[in-house]
Amino acid sequence: MLSWKPFALSVAVLLILFPFVYLVLLSLSSEWRFPDLLPSYFGLKNWATILGSEAGLLESFVSSLLISLSVAIVSTTSGFLISRAVFYHPKKNTLTLLAYFPYILAPVVFAACLSFFFLKMGLFGNITGVIVAQFIIAFPYALLFFSSFWNKKIKSYEDLVATLGGNRWQTFIKVLFPLAKGLILICFFQTFLISWFEYGLTSIIGIGKVQTLTIKVFLFIKEANYYYGALSCCLLIFPPVVLLYLNKRYVFKKLV
Amino acid sequence: MKNKRLNFGIILFIAIGVVPFVAAFIYALLYSFGVIGVANKGFTTEFWTSVLASGEFFTSFLYSFLIALVAVAVSVGGALWVTLKFRKRLEQKFLSFIIYLPLAVPGIVTGFFTFQLFSKGGFFARLSYQLGWITEASQFPDLVNDALAFGILLSFITMIMPFFVLLFLNVYKNERIEELSILAQSLGANAKQVTQRISLPILIKKTRVLIVLYFIFLLGAYEVPLILGRESPQMLSVLIIREIKQYDLDKISEGYVVAVMYTLIVSAAAIVLFFPRKGRMYEH
Amino acid sequence: MSILQKTLFPILFILVILSCSEKAINDDQALKTAPWQEITKKANGTTVNFMMWQGSPTINDYINNYVVPSVKEKYHINLKISGGQGPEIVQLVMGEKQADILSGQVDMVWINGETFFQLRKVDGLWGPFVKQLPNAKLVNMNDPFINTDFQQAVKGMEAPWSINQFAIVYDSVKVENPPKNLPQLTEYLERYPGTFTISNDFTGMTLLKSFMAEIGGSPNSLDGPFDEEKYNSLSKKLWDYINSHKKYFWKEGRTFPKEQSKMGQLYANGELLLVYGFSEGGIEEKVLNGLYPKSTRGYAWENGTIKNSNYLGILYNAPQKAGAMQVIDFLLSPEAQLKKADVNGMNSNTVLDIESLPSDWKEKFKTVAKRQYGPEMKQLEKNAIAEPAPEYMIRLYEDFRTQVIEK
Repeated sequence: MLSWKPFALSVAVLLILFPFVYLVLLSLSSEWRFPDLLPSYFGLKNWATILGSEAGLLESFVSSLLISLSVAIVSTTSGFLISRAVFYHPKKNTLTLLAYFPYILAPVVFAACLSFFFLKMGLFGNITGVIVAQFIIAFPYALLFFSSFWNKKIKSYEDLVATLGGNRWQTFIKVLFPLAKGLILICFFQTFLISWFEYGLTSIIGIGKVQTLTIKVFLFIKEANYYYGALSCCLLIFPPVVLLYLNKRYVFKKLV
Repeated sequence: MKNKRLNFGIILFIAIGVVPFVAAFIYALLYSFGVIGVANKGFTTEFWTSVLASGEFFTSFLYSFLIALVAVAVSVGGALWVTLKFRKRLEQKFLSFIIYLPLAVPGIVTGFFTFQLFSKGGFFARLSYQLGWITEASQFPDLVNDALAFGILLSFITMIMPFFVLLFLNVYKNERIEELSILAQSLGANAKQVTQRISLPILIKKTRVLIVLYFIFLLGAYEVPLILGRESPQMLSVLIIREIKQYDLDKISEGYVVAVMYTLIVSAAAIVLFFPRKGRMYEH
Repeated sequence: MSILQKTLFPILFILVILSCSEKAINDDQALKTAPWQEITKKANGTTVNFMMWQGSPTINDYINNYVVPSVKEKYHINLKISGGQGPEIVQLVMGEKQADILSGQVDMVWINGETFFQLRKVDGLWGPFVKQLPNAKLVNMNDPFINTDFQQAVKGMEAPWSINQFAIVYDSVKVENPPKNLPQLTEYLERYPGTFTISNDFTGMTLLKSFMAEIGGSPNSLDGPFDEEKYNSLSKKLWDYINSHKKYFWKEGRTFPKEQSKMGQLYANGELLLVYGFSEGGIEEKVLNGLYPKSTRGYAWENGTIKNSNYLGILYNAPQKAGAMQVIDFLLSPEAQLKKADVNGMNSNTVLDIESLPSDWKEKFKTVAKRQYGPEMKQLEKNAIAEPAPEYMIRLYEDFRTQVIEK
């Protein structure tokens, strides 16, 4: 019997790859209107225009990377460690509940309501402020992400290590991290993306002075010229794809 | 010793996770009553009365709720199906990379892309024209900025379904569902029973927190409905930002009224869903 | 819960204390009368933050590759650009006012009449400063389209940067006789259903002002202070007109595009055939970069379309007011204005009074290349009307939502 599964999977793979290809093609096009199926112009014109008009794209890229890596490292680490304290706490349900609240507010709205305090603390319009603000958004995510990890089984492993004379450090390094590795990597990647793609919050707290790549290219997506919009989309999504590739290649190797 | 450490963790948790939220909420609350705000003149309930009277908030809430509900239900259902049917194949080297790719696409890009494909002058409309199905752009069906929020739903599903597939795959492995299933089968259970009694319950129970979290996340989604939504009704975040950024500075507080009501309702929902109940003690 | 109380309340308490700090006065009065050399001296070596809309590569190119290096070289000013337009600027100013920030994050801003009105309302602008700028003498300050913004006298609180007119944009291959008044619009809608709409933003409301002026019977019918009675009677007719034609609008009038940029996309991909916008429709750049078809043309409404200027302002708490004045003065120089008029670049109309310029500059301005596709402002000028009072805009926003969108 011929299986339909490989066929379905191939279609799924094509569907996943389609947006990436389409966006690259659209960014290379021009004069492409209904009802033409193919663009009248195809070439590097749009890329040349944007790379010429946007000074300091590389700088933006570096600061984006710096911000996103900081946010991902800090929120994943603190999320993992603090979630242990929270989910082993006798009042863990109440505490979990509290963690949901910041997640409820949309980041843009959250930032609009928090900007006053950031202004007061001098965390406005600089990279530190943006990192702190994004961390506030990413932390509850990371914390809750690990909620299902801290179950009875893990607890009993920990107790076992303690019984066998292992100290705390050994418990974390030898038992907990290896067990949570898959989750930690997903969480790292997710928090990295939360930060990488954050626009509303970054633009309010960074007031456009912290020019992350997202801030720089985001403006074009909403504007009339969708060829530039597609180009901006490419600039936004390909760095995470590369990261993902590296991640898969070097880190996920033994996993999944 | 141990307790102290735990408490330190809790204090950090409160400082990062709770204080900013409370501060932001109080700020929004004060703003909504006109106590603060440069253009406001002092305490008043006029913003609350006017928002409640217009009823726009409730329509908007219901609209957002339904969209988020449908999107999460379809995504979780689809992801469960994919996980259970294709689990083995997804572990191949190439596929295991491909399934991570959708995570690299943010909401705004999904919205942009969906619009480019499905608008009346978009890619599929052009394709339909070339195939002779339509003769004018306006004959193409209404798929973005449409009444049934098709465009928004499609974007949401393509955004979160891949995430759930990854999550379920991970839980499947971590919870040793494979081993449990083999055990059950050797005890005489058939494939259907294994799915219904073992795989599904474990997957859903272990991830229900994240499922609800994604529902909440979609409820407050901004970029996608901004690009693909209608002007009325609007999803909640779009409505809030529209009010906060509105031209008439005297009415900015109305945006904060909506923000406060929205926060209260979803907080209440979170309390109902997650608050510890006596009968559930043995669950974990 | 006790841990919660122990940590939460002290922090909230500190926040309350913070928010009650003393208000000091940032005194820059002297700059309003100081001789220009002194201002130049003060400006030298400063870092000036400029908040502006960054959604166009031609504008960014002008700023990043011409203005920034020029002010660096000429005045050693380090000009930093941050992205943000009207609502963001207003939010920033309101936030900083709220928090009593004496030394703000942004020095100068690029604004239009809408934002000017809002900033004046919250006292967000510093000035008057325009008289101090040497190059301001080259601007024709007697032009009512320059010295009055939304019926409000500018009085030196903002410096004009460029002037432009609202134009209707259409595809001359697909539409033979584009409408020039409301009865013709009816004919157009019946003939090309689904190809016209009104964006629910500044641009759409500006079109509605033109329509309302036409219903009022003359180009000047909305001039003067806001008149409630006039508004009520004219707007009722306007909503009747729109609602009775709604079925011929884009998506049968069941929804409207949120922003003008969305409308531009819909025109570019062929869904809409008749759109509109400021800067004489913004046609030239969009045709040159392949977004709009080459057959795109623009014109003014018979009863007139709005003509206005956009401006540069200095924020009330700008830390580098002298630096900002220096940069604004440079932006008003014949050199910078000429570069800005380049049809292949930013392509905007100068605010300088060309007749009053030295003859070599006069020559250069007069021989600037003409647009190939879009109309020149000169061609539309006879159909120009002034911005009505801001209250009309506020009411149109509100009523367009309640009377049209939600119906």
